[in-house]
Amino acid sequence: MRRNRLVRYGTATAVLALLVAGCGSSSSGGNNATPKPKAADNVFNAGTTGIRNVSAKKGGTLNFIADGDCDYWDPARTYYGFCWDMQRLFSRGLMAYAAAPGDAGLNVVPDLATAQGSSPDGKNWTYHLKSGIKFEDGSPVTSKNIKYGIERVFAQSVINGGPTYVITFLCPGPINNSGGCDAYKGPYADTDPNHLGLSTIDTPDDNTIVFHLNKVVGDWNYIMALPASTPVPIAYDQSPKGGAHYTDHPYSTGPYKFDTYTAGKSLTLVRNPMWSSGNDPFRKALPDKIVFTVDANDDDIDQRIFTNIADVNIAGTGVQPTAQTKILTNPTLKARADNPVTGATRYLAIESKVAPFDNVHCRRAVQYAVSKVDWQTARGGPIGGGQVATSMLNPTVKGYTQFDAYPDNNGNGDVAKAKQELAACGKPNGFTTHLASQNSGKGTRVATAVQAALKRVGINAIIDLGNAATYYSQFIGAPAVNRSKGRGLMVAGWGADWPTGYGFFSSLIDGRKILPQGNSNYSETNDPKINQMIDQAVATTDANKAGQIWGEVDKQLMTVDATLVPMTWDKALVINSQNVTNAYILSSLLGIYDFQALGHV
Amino acid sequence: MPNVIQYIIRRLILVVVLMWIVSMVTFAIFFLIPSATGTSPAVLFAGKAPTPDTVKSVEIKFGLKDSIPVQYAHFVEGIFVGRHFDNGADKSYCPPPCLGFSFVNNQPVWNEITSDLPVTLSLAAGASIMWLVSGTAIGVLSALKRRSFFDRAAMGLALAGVSLPIYFTGLVLLDLISYNWQILPNVHYVGFTDNPLSWARNMLLPWISLTFLYAALYARLTRAGMLETMSEDYIRTARAKGLSESRVITRHALRAALTPIVTIFGLDLGQLLGGAILTEYTFGLIGIGHLSIDAISRQDLPVIMGVTLFAAFFIVFANLVVDVLYAFVDPRVRYS
Amino acid sequence: MTAPLDVQGSATEAQPEAVLGGVEAKAIEGRSLGQIAWMRLKRDKLAIVGGIVVILLLLIAIFAGVISSLAGQDPYAYHSNLIDPNLSTPKGGFGGMSLDHLLGVEPISGRDIFSRILYGARVSMIIAFLATGVSVIIGVSVGVVAGYFGGVVDQLLSRLMDLLLAFPLLLFAIALVYVIGDSSLVGLSDNNTRIFVLVIIIGFFNWPYIGRIIRGQTLSLREKEYIEAARSLGASSPRILFREILPNLVGPILVYSTLIIPTNILFEAALSFLGVGVRPPQASWGAMLSDAAQGLFQIDPEYMIVPGAALFITVIAFNLFGDGLRDALDPRSNR
Repeated sequence: MRRNRLVRYGTATAVLALLVAGCGSSSSGGNNATPKPKAADNVFNAGTTGIRNVSAKKGGTLNFIADGDCDYWDPARTYYGFCWDMQRLFSRGLMAYAAAPGDAGLNVVPDLATAQGSSPDGKNWTYHLKSGIKFEDGSPVTSKNIKYGIERVFAQSVINGGPTYVITFLCPGPINNSGGCDAYKGPYADTDPNHLGLSTIDTPDDNTIVFHLNKVVGDWNYIMALPASTPVPIAYDQSPKGGAHYTDHPYSTGPYKFDTYTAGKSLTLVRNPMWSSGNDPFRKALPDKIVFTVDANDDDIDQRIFTNIADVNIAGTGVQPTAQTKILTNPTLKARADNPVTGATRYLAIESKVAPFDNVHCRRAVQYAVSKVDWQTARGGPIGGGQVATSMLNPTVKGYTQFDAYPDNNGNGDVAKAKQELAACGKPNGFTTHLASQNSGKGTRVATAVQAALKRVGINAIIDLGNAATYYSQFIGAPAVNRSKGRGLMVAGWGADWPTGYGFFSSLIDGRKILPQGNSNYSETNDPKINQMIDQAVATTDANKAGQIWGEVDKQLMTVDATLVPMTWDKALVINSQNVTNAYILSSLLGIYDFQALGHV
Repeated sequence: MPNVIQYIIRRLILVVVLMWIVSMVTFAIFFLIPSATGTSPAVLFAGKAPTPDTVKSVEIKFGLKDSIPVQYAHFVEGIFVGRHFDNGADKSYCPPPCLGFSFVNNQPVWNEITSDLPVTLSLAAGASIMWLVSGTAIGVLSALKRRSFFDRAAMGLALAGVSLPIYFTGLVLLDLISYNWQILPNVHYVGFTDNPLSWARNMLLPWISLTFLYAALYARLTRAGMLETMSEDYIRTARAKGLSESRVITRHALRAALTPIVTIFGLDLGQLLGGAILTEYTFGLIGIGHLSIDAISRQDLPVIMGVTLFAAFFIVFANLVVDVLYAFVDPRVRYS
Repeated sequence: MTAPLDVQGSATEAQPEAVLGGVEAKAIEGRSLGQIAWMRLKRDKLAIVGGIVVILLLLIAIFAGVISSLAGQDPYAYHSNLIDPNLSTPKGGFGGMSLDHLLGVEPISGRDIFSRILYGARVSMIIAFLATGVSVIIGVSVGVVAGYFGGVVDQLLSRLMDLLLAFPLLLFAIALVYVIGDSSLVGLSDNNTRIFVLVIIIGFFNWPYIGRIIRGQTLSLREKEYIEAARSLGASSPRILFREILPNLVGPILVYSTLIIPTNILFEAALSFLGVGVRPPQASWGAMLSDAAQGLFQIDPEYMIVPGAALFITVIAFNLFGDGLRDALDPRSNR
């Protein structure tokens, strides 16, 4: 129960996937209206499509709980899905995900900006700020604060941990081999006395900000919905309390601000009097206070939610087996629970540079030999674990088409076909390879499930377990190490940072993004056709067309390359205490409840 | 008495030497071996997909590129005068006693230890009282009623106690008492000053589990000690003098039998204060033991270093206290 | 006598003196010591029961493969069809016990618990026996040298033992497994490497206990007349050590080994419980308990009870046998 705290998706490299179902840019124009709340019946899974216990009652204290603290509270450094959701309580960026259940929540809406960012060419993006936005100390927020906040991401030696897309697209010079930007090193090493030296962002006046990207990026509005587009007070961040310590007290622009915070233990958020609901498109700000406590004991967390001592398990990774049994066997409890698809795809990466997997037939043999049902059971079954995946893209994705390149006896594997492929590969009696996984409960179970399934066709997989904390960054993130250790198979999970195909596939299978360290293309897939399709999709501003291309990428990957074996699409069984009102699942952030909307009865 | 002082000083010097060696060995294991296998601890601190630049700056900040002896010297220096970790604009200060700076939680290790210490203290304090009292009481009764049903039952139970791992006892107790019968809450630490009653109710299961484990040994030792002393001449003399049996037992027999108990008690307590890893892990209590396991699994080297030293200190210190006490209690021991 | 394995080693340190105090004095007298001891042992019914269980366990460990294949079960095969997919627990009551799966199946994976218990016994026995061997070899060598030569040598070696006892052992063992547990050593394949590392680590941390006792024994033996006699006859130190002293230490070594084995079994189980024991898919009782502890014991208590009981029976059997052996070899402690 304890070790699970290291297995949260957040710990996985680049977080969460969630592909847009409604098309992203279709929400163009200045439609700021909050979607009308749709009340949900009190039935199982109601919170994924409607709002549970609709209420406008203000006041009370909500008790949040989780088995671990956020990686960082600094908006530029956090990379955990639930922490991005928490950011919605106290930081406002240019854009934000719409506050709505279901597919509507996958769209971005302007938050500090007056309207969706507009761009004539997909490279130069302009935003205007709403007036009257203030920091928690009452000082006004200007476009310079937003520019400064984005500049901080460039200071990777201080502000590390978070997504780095803004570096890739806003670096004034070339991107170096390791994905860094040599031309601009962030506001702490800035030659500009005002610490606003990044030449690719203009702030012609206090209410306008213009981004000059180095290539066409159709998804820019999504990138501006990442937490790092939130304004940061320059003088404060340059003081000893800022920089690496900004995470201890990030300045609020939202309805709540930091009151007390003890790292790894607890956080208390209180109302921010400088916030006004008038210029906020959706935030409800119902409770007077939010207290977040860390509790390492996952079973205890479930117990506390059941007994209404704690209200929301914000980690959102689903209840423990004990609580799952309780919920599923008790109709009253079950009616209160939700079972969202979280958007992450769990898969097995086949290292195509490790023999014999350089032969596509050996890769296909694995595609047929694995038992997706055993994997699903190992992860907690169809409700607690996920649903059997037939392709890498999530079914919620625009452009996703249902197809199964390797039909396999309802997920149990097709041993005969696998043996045929093995013979075609020249290894009729199988072979020995290494299988990497995390040394956590589920990581171990999943690995042994794969091992047992492969043994049926004579493939002997030796399990290499890596530390959960460094699994993605160190253990399987260095292709040279994987090759030298003969790691042909790697257990992995993946989700994109914002809900479009770009975030999902680009680092995963783009052959030009195979990095010597911190690599995410574990399979070393380098298919010219896929690379070309990726470029085409990124430059496509029409989301529908882009979606179609991503669907084609998926097919090409599955049938021709066969380097990734999709196993399950994650699902989580979640439940709140009976004190919670206005609960619904925000699909864009790992399928967790939208924290800003919650109230107390 | 000057003898005693000399003795204590000698022992203190030994403590310092021991701690020094422990710290060097720990340092060597965690810094030499990883560098031999080619992984830089900086990678961990540098985030999820670190660029080489980031790794480099972390190495500069924490001085990880210095030679191991230099790093060690800085470490020791930090304990006494504190340390600054600087890399340009990125400044962190770690006040003395600086046991290092956690890579993962980005704060001084000392803060982590002190914030988790109350849990371990509560665990050790409550459990040690329980097992000491119950263990010696059972031992005395068993010795007095030797070969009786009580004696056999108690010694059987004692054997079971030492033969059952705490995580098994703990899980069974959790399953029955907390989950099925719901007599006690699911263990969850509550500060003593926040709510003493709730604190005790929550700690009761871990205390009982530890008591079951340790009391067994104490009962066996007390019983053996009592039986041994009861057959000594001076007990016979005391009886012959016409002292009441209860007086003979409490004043003479028990006292002698307790001397070894004191020794073991000090050592056990010292070990527990350094982190009851299995107990804390079983019950999900975040004390020093849990901190150390977390640190190891995240390869948070400074925390591992800090906790190891901290735990070693308790053990060595407990040894010292026991030796000194022993010297006072038992006149046969000479300070040499 | 086993150390309460929370903080490993804690009480063990003091125990040797306390429990084996008697052995030290005069266990080694009399010519037909073996016969006398055997007679005494035979009278101790509990010890005999313990001994029989120990022998059975050894047989199980040796023939784990044969027995489980006779039962038609593979300890590594998954049986998803025996698991309720939504609840992750075995279908049917009693942890999925059936004629096929005598002790039920594991929740989540559906692996056969009976065969995993057998293989777990093998892992436990291999590690415990080998680690005990390591402890005994180091402990006896150091103890004999310290006791026999005395003086500076004794001072140094005794301080070394003190030093080792000052380490937080369990913590250190875990950390060491993390640091060196996955490196490839001397051409051993992966699972064997881990077992090798565990044997070395567990063995290494236990030797000071035996070292202290042997030192004490040697100290007293050294003063015996026949040693004096041998020395005055010009016998070399090695000769005295091997011919005169070591043979007289066989008794306590035997007793202590028997008593340290259960400690080592618990140590291995504890490391596996904390996730640093043998590597999956190898079976280990500690790892099974660890698995059960992760939220499974409440929905499938059998999964916790079976490995827990196996561990309990094993440890108590060794303890009973060891206690009996000690009593048999040392009349004074036979109360």
